[in-house]
Amino acid sequence: MSTILLAAACTAPTRLTDLGNLLRVLWEFLSLSLFSLGGGNTLLAEYHHLAVNQFCWLTDAQFADLYALAEAAPGPSSMLVGLLGLGAAWKEGVGWGLLSGYGAEIAILLPSTLLMVVACLSWRKLEHSPWRIAFERGMGPITLGILFAVGIKIVRTADSTSAGSLSVPGVIVSVIVCVLMLRTKISPLWFMAFAGVLGGLGIINR
Amino acid sequence: MAVASAESSTELAPAPGLRELFFGMLQVALSAFGGGLSAWSQRIVVEQRRWMTNEQFLTGLTVARLFPGPNQINMAVYIGAQFRGLRGALVALAGMLLVPFTLLMALGVAYFWLHEIPSVNRVLAGVVAAAAGMALSMGFKILDEYWRDPVALLLAAGVFVAMVFFHVRLIPVVLITGPLAMAWYWPRQHTKP
Repeated sequence: MSTILLAAACTAPTRLTDLGNLLRVLWEFLSLSLFSLGGGNTLLAEYHHLAVNQFCWLTDAQFADLYALAEAAPGPSSMLVGLLGLGAAWKEGVGWGLLSGYGAEIAILLPSTLLMVVACLSWRKLEHSPWRIAFERGMGPITLGILFAVGIKIVRTADSTSAGSLSVPGVIVSVIVCVLMLRTKISPLWFMAFAGVLGGLGIINR
Repeated sequence: MAVASAESSTELAPAPGLRELFFGMLQVALSAFGGGLSAWSQRIVVEQRRWMTNEQFLTGLTVARLFPGPNQINMAVYIGAQFRGLRGALVALAGMLLVPFTLLMALGVAYFWLHEIPSVNRVLAGVVAAAAGMALSMGFKILDEYWRDPVALLLAAGVFVAMVFFHVRLIPVVLITGPLAMAWYWPRQHTKP
């Protein structure tokens, strides 16, 4: 069993120096920035691919933990990128970790911010342009499809056991929370707190 | 008292400087610690500080949602850029993110120190299940807007299948389906009244 897990364990493509790793983190997030449609959550599956599959910064469980942390903490949940940056350089020490975390957040926000400034200053021309209308209408359905794919990805990542199979109690809780998010206005913090208690009692495990 | 303005009864304050932008956005971020960032930014920017009319604020939200980037962060950028250009945008962004982001980094450091403790790990196993439920609800939240548009549903389904079953990455998905969708939804003369 353990040999199978070891064989499946993530191996980073190349060993980089500490500085090389930082530049890699900055580059990856810079190049994703302009693809954050529909408010940024559309990038979650891509973050997972980068952090877990491609560069081995994090395990599946760590990725899910950091996602939950970013959702629970005050402020925009898109700050998750900072946590991913932190995780990417954690092995190199807290200093590199924080540098990488702040750097990653700046990298993901910089290109979209610059574009936003341009958009804001030329909005009067853009507002009635056919490009604007087509972009707005066209990107909506694409965002919809991506968000469903992201939801499935996060559920698979979060509700899996250490052996790699789906955790049934976890999936049940996720589905119930999903329905409650849509039908009620209860703060999601309550759901996370309650599920945390279920986890502590060993009802949901991984 | 106030200089008479021909406009309306709700008079706008003079355009904020960089310092005011920073502290205004800081106030928004701190007020929103319990959630509701969007509502707080409207309350503070429009009602309390009177930097913008409600109409201007809503235009800002439209722009913020349209362009790439997190909506609330784009909104801060819009407010800053409106008054002080690029520097204003960066200052507003810093004001909005500095405190919550630093706090989040501290939580992150604590997480990497503590997460291997068995009891912490067990609690987290529960918390992530609830968080995953939140992620799952995102698509359903905007599904209603597209119910009556079969082309939109087909596009969304195509994107979903490509990503989930064929593991196509995000950037090729957007670069291929984006132009197709834009061509389909290009505004046509005869559809306009």
